[in-house]
Amino acid sequence: MLTTVEKIIFIILALTSVGFTYHGFKTIFDSIRKGRSAPELKNVPINLVKAAITVLFQRTIFKARKGLSAIHMGLFFGLITYAFVNLIDVLEGFVPGFELIYGGKNLSNAPTGLVNAFNLISDVMSGFLLIAITVFFVRRFITKDKALMYRDNVLLNEKVKAGAQNSDSLTVDVFVVMHVSAHLMTQAFRLNEGPDPFMPVASFLNSIFGASQTGVHVAWWISLGWVMFIIPYLSRSKHTHFFMSPINLGLAKQNPRGQLDPAVPLKVLNGNHHDPGAKHIHDLAWTRVLDAYACVQCNRCQDVCPANFQGRPLSPSALEVNKRYLLKEATFGSHPDRLLLPLTETVISPEAVWSCTTCYACVRVCPVGNEPMADIVDIRRRMLIDGAELDSGVQNALQSLATNGNWMSKGKRLRGKWAKDMEFPVKDATAEPVEHLWFVGDTASFDERVVPNTKMVARIFNQAGLDFGIMYKEESNAGNDVRRVGEEGLFEQLVEQNMAAFGKAQFQRIVTTDPHSFNTLKNEYPQFGSQWEVKHYTVTLLRLFEEGKLTVKNKLSHYKVTFHDPCYLGRYNGGFTAPRKLLGLLGVEFIEMPRNCENSFCCGAGGGQIWMGKVAPGERPAENRIKEALTTFGEGASGKAQLFIVTCPKDMIMYSDAVKTTGNEGKIEVRDIIQLIAEAVGVEEPKVAEAVPA
Amino acid sequence: MSNDVFVITEHMDGKFSDVSFEMMGKARELASALGGQAVAVVVGGGVDAYVFASDATIHVDDAALSNFNPEAYGKVIEALVKEKSPKVVLIGWTITGMDIAAWLSARTGAPCAAYAKDVCVEDGALVVSSQVYGGKLTAEVVLEGDMAIVACLAGSFPAEAGQGSTVATVTATPVDLGSLKVKFVEAIKPAGGDVDITAQTKLVSVGRGIGGKENIELAEELAEKLGAALSCSRPVVDAGWLPRTRQVGKSGLKVKPKMYLMLGISGAPEHLEGMKSAELIIAVNTDKKAPIFNVAHYGATADLFEVAEEMLELL
Amino acid sequence: MNIVVAIKHIPSIADDLPVSGNNVDFDSVDFVMNEWDEQSIEQAVLIKEAVGGTVTVIGVDLIEELDNALHLALAKGADKAVKITADEPGADSHMQAKWLAEAIKGMSPDMVFAGVQASNDIDGQIGPILAAYLDMPYIGGTSSVEASDGSAMVVKEFAGGAGAKYSVGLPFVAGIQAAPKPPRYAPISKVRQIAQTATIDKVEPSGDASGRLSFKKMAPPVVTGHAEMIEGSSKEVAAKIVELIKSKGLA
Repeated sequence: MLTTVEKIIFIILALTSVGFTYHGFKTIFDSIRKGRSAPELKNVPINLVKAAITVLFQRTIFKARKGLSAIHMGLFFGLITYAFVNLIDVLEGFVPGFELIYGGKNLSNAPTGLVNAFNLISDVMSGFLLIAITVFFVRRFITKDKALMYRDNVLLNEKVKAGAQNSDSLTVDVFVVMHVSAHLMTQAFRLNEGPDPFMPVASFLNSIFGASQTGVHVAWWISLGWVMFIIPYLSRSKHTHFFMSPINLGLAKQNPRGQLDPAVPLKVLNGNHHDPGAKHIHDLAWTRVLDAYACVQCNRCQDVCPANFQGRPLSPSALEVNKRYLLKEATFGSHPDRLLLPLTETVISPEAVWSCTTCYACVRVCPVGNEPMADIVDIRRRMLIDGAELDSGVQNALQSLATNGNWMSKGKRLRGKWAKDMEFPVKDATAEPVEHLWFVGDTASFDERVVPNTKMVARIFNQAGLDFGIMYKEESNAGNDVRRVGEEGLFEQLVEQNMAAFGKAQFQRIVTTDPHSFNTLKNEYPQFGSQWEVKHYTVTLLRLFEEGKLTVKNKLSHYKVTFHDPCYLGRYNGGFTAPRKLLGLLGVEFIEMPRNCENSFCCGAGGGQIWMGKVAPGERPAENRIKEALTTFGEGASGKAQLFIVTCPKDMIMYSDAVKTTGNEGKIEVRDIIQLIAEAVGVEEPKVAEAVPA
Repeated sequence: MSNDVFVITEHMDGKFSDVSFEMMGKARELASALGGQAVAVVVGGGVDAYVFASDATIHVDDAALSNFNPEAYGKVIEALVKEKSPKVVLIGWTITGMDIAAWLSARTGAPCAAYAKDVCVEDGALVVSSQVYGGKLTAEVVLEGDMAIVACLAGSFPAEAGQGSTVATVTATPVDLGSLKVKFVEAIKPAGGDVDITAQTKLVSVGRGIGGKENIELAEELAEKLGAALSCSRPVVDAGWLPRTRQVGKSGLKVKPKMYLMLGISGAPEHLEGMKSAELIIAVNTDKKAPIFNVAHYGATADLFEVAEEMLELL
Repeated sequence: MNIVVAIKHIPSIADDLPVSGNNVDFDSVDFVMNEWDEQSIEQAVLIKEAVGGTVTVIGVDLIEELDNALHLALAKGADKAVKITADEPGADSHMQAKWLAEAIKGMSPDMVFAGVQASNDIDGQIGPILAAYLDMPYIGGTSSVEASDGSAMVVKEFAGGAGAKYSVGLPFVAGIQAAPKPPRYAPISKVRQIAQTATIDKVEPSGDASGRLSFKKMAPPVVTGHAEMIEGSSKEVAAKIVELIKSKGLA
């Protein structure tokens, strides 16, 4: 179809395009390679194949925004189809007589059925692409969906602030519209024998514009010439997403969710010294430098971020977009010097760094396997080492943890005091063998609002004949939140203290009431030599019921309850079923909140937030959650007490507070699951009043 | 050697502090038990020393002593007690007395008991009750030797018994004040413009439990709603969360408001010194064993933030 | 500027303090650095950062556990650490000050800092006793110490923001009430790294002194009164407090 001159021009254009594209991706790969070494990735080829399959079925985007995800899926399939369509278009241009219209009837031995099928698919897909791109265009530029915007207090790269993302979007929108329309027009102009039933859209256009050889040439050039420009452009825009997101998914974190990457890479090449954590962008593991190129700023992470919800200056998505613009300005632009600026000036504000609750919702929801939370922890790690000013509450907590092994400035000997006040002896696991070593945790040991529940757990364990003990003064804070605040050295110190204590004790497994302790004991302590099985108390309790050691005497059908999945039990460790099964056994009326299990909403206490002296303004995540629960229960009295069930000592505090601050006392009550179990199995607190303190 | 009881009085801006009178009253009691005289020692220029119910008052009057100078005051007192050999020397365990008591002990070899809440003579020996370990323990100690130094916590004894009008004997300084290494440069007045917490009828006072300077706002809001001023304990000031002008206690100000609402203050002896004569003391603290509950009129073991927020709702 | 910071290891009051005989049961308490010592370390490091010099931290090792405190001080910016190996948990301030004085004499310090007080200073604080033994002037209750040409400008706090400024000739001993800035946080990884690499000089205790106090009794204070406790939830507590204040005509 093309003239020789046209062919030469196209070949030159194509070669130039390949050159620029190569340069673009080479630059990106070089930049990624400068990142620190990442935790070892196993079976990379298989994982890349798996990622390709995931992408093909668009599995990961459907975790949120189902409707838009379907449109994205259409766009995706459309563009995949177009890879073939473009190939055919090139052949149609270069091979004389090669045309697929009318089932390829001008070609000898053409598989007519297949050709017709292809024509139909490409024709329909073209239409769908135009619809999809229009929806996205309208969403961004006409209705201006708030989900695509950033709060004013979020640190943003100047270019982003000036609308660079929008111009990227506009470029691609225009490209897709022009490219697809032009392709449709080439086909329409080819239809010199009237409509082709397998090409309804092209036939419709043909009915308007008729057939034209010149038209074919012009439309062909518009369609394919564009591609030669757009492909190199993609490597320099947020649409590197097209290529990098499948790769990123294939190279996504393989370690358990609850295991943070080491503060200093384990594999250090050439004996290089590394400070812990990240100050500059290339202090991040290379897999997380890659994150920036995979991100297309869909902001799903921002939607689920509890800090962002509260109006704090954190947006995980802004972190990624700032990373990419920083890299872009350094590599494609003329500002390599900016790479040496601290990340706290270029990608995320210090306030935002300290707003993260480490709830993992952003990482979980990310369709392309990004880990903004891990970046934040790395930045905290370096800020701590560099002597950044800490929130006074956090500093107090860390100092107390270093001296007392707990964050509450209580002496070590007071840790087991609740147990000494019990009506039966609680074994000291460091002095006599026990089957279950109960790792109690700080809040459950010291906080007087939670201690009654702790005692109740002991009573139930005792009633069930569970052989258990605690470590009294030998237990230290497990260090989960210490590590997530970025105090890696203190975390290691706490781990050593606990490992030494475990060494003194004889036991078969660890049971813990605190999901935070549970997470680090289960996922991180093994790296320090722990070999014990770790159970959350909900699992242990369920087993006790299943083995008949606990039996429900009173069904609790007078309660209407909902359940909050703690981040570190649920999203991090998949502990969704045991608490629900327990509630089932107790006979309560159970209603699930809209945000449940993987999609549970953080209470706002994790990652050191509970230590913060600063109370951020805005509706707190816990308050929002209580409202969610009340909406779930619905209006109108059911005659049943409405309970918000928790399985985490921090939740007990956060949500009890939130019920009060939202003025919902009397409408909903926060209870630990153990309180319900006690009522159901008929275990009560001893009647003896506590001795009045001297 | 005598059986006299010396009281090292203290003054600022021409006024004697309460603790001077409190110790004076106690000195009379001790002197009568020991068969000696209760002697007020006034070091400083430009003060009216005729205000004590002492058996005698020694006034070392020198313009160079008008402002407290630890080195000058120490040397004068050392010379004086070496000359007069009293049996007991009472010094305030205050921001100025703390510079003298232990130093004098080391210089003279006389024993010193600090944090003293009470002093008595038992079988001829001097027995002191000291409030140590942040008020968690009370130690009873016997002071050996010919002379004993007792550093008394303010507010331990009634002040009235020490007030009188004994004529003071003025003496010149027994030591050369010309070659001191410590030189008074200037007085620092509290930064102007801040609230005078000693003049308030109502105070909301916050302690370490407030957690951080970021939470001061909440307490301030509550104080405002109550028509009260905001005060605090020492750790809050040391951490830089509130200015020194707001500090109640030993190293801060003594207050006597009609209402003293305490949030997150456990009640270290140093703080109690500054506020225990408030008319209505209400304490909120999460630790039910906090010593403040032994002093407060009303107490509650609760989360101070919750209580503060709830009170704001109600007011 | 050659600054020596004398620290005191004391039983932690974060715990209940068990008593054995007439004194604290030193075997069953944890020892921690006196809280005011953190202020004096910060003050010393601030001076060093401003005018240069060295900061030496020294303390009496009462129960062979002082290393942690010394490592912490080094991590916060001290240059040298010295411990006097006494192993006498009950050593009083006079005794400790004597040992410290003997050890500090040879260091020819320009300034010696100690915490203004410690919760177990029953025979007086280490600072002024040390000053007497070293024959240096003492000034306590400071909120700022600045070095200036052979002398120092010292602000002593009185009350409520009032205070006085003194010029003090070197060398002298100061009892630090507060550093001009809150003490900095020392990351534990730094502390642990120092723990592995730093050397702590050991000094045998030399000299003898005593506060000459004999303990007759040690017990929790006799409680004379107790607040009327308001029970219930925070909401109920708040309501009762408001009611109480209103009933007294105070709100």
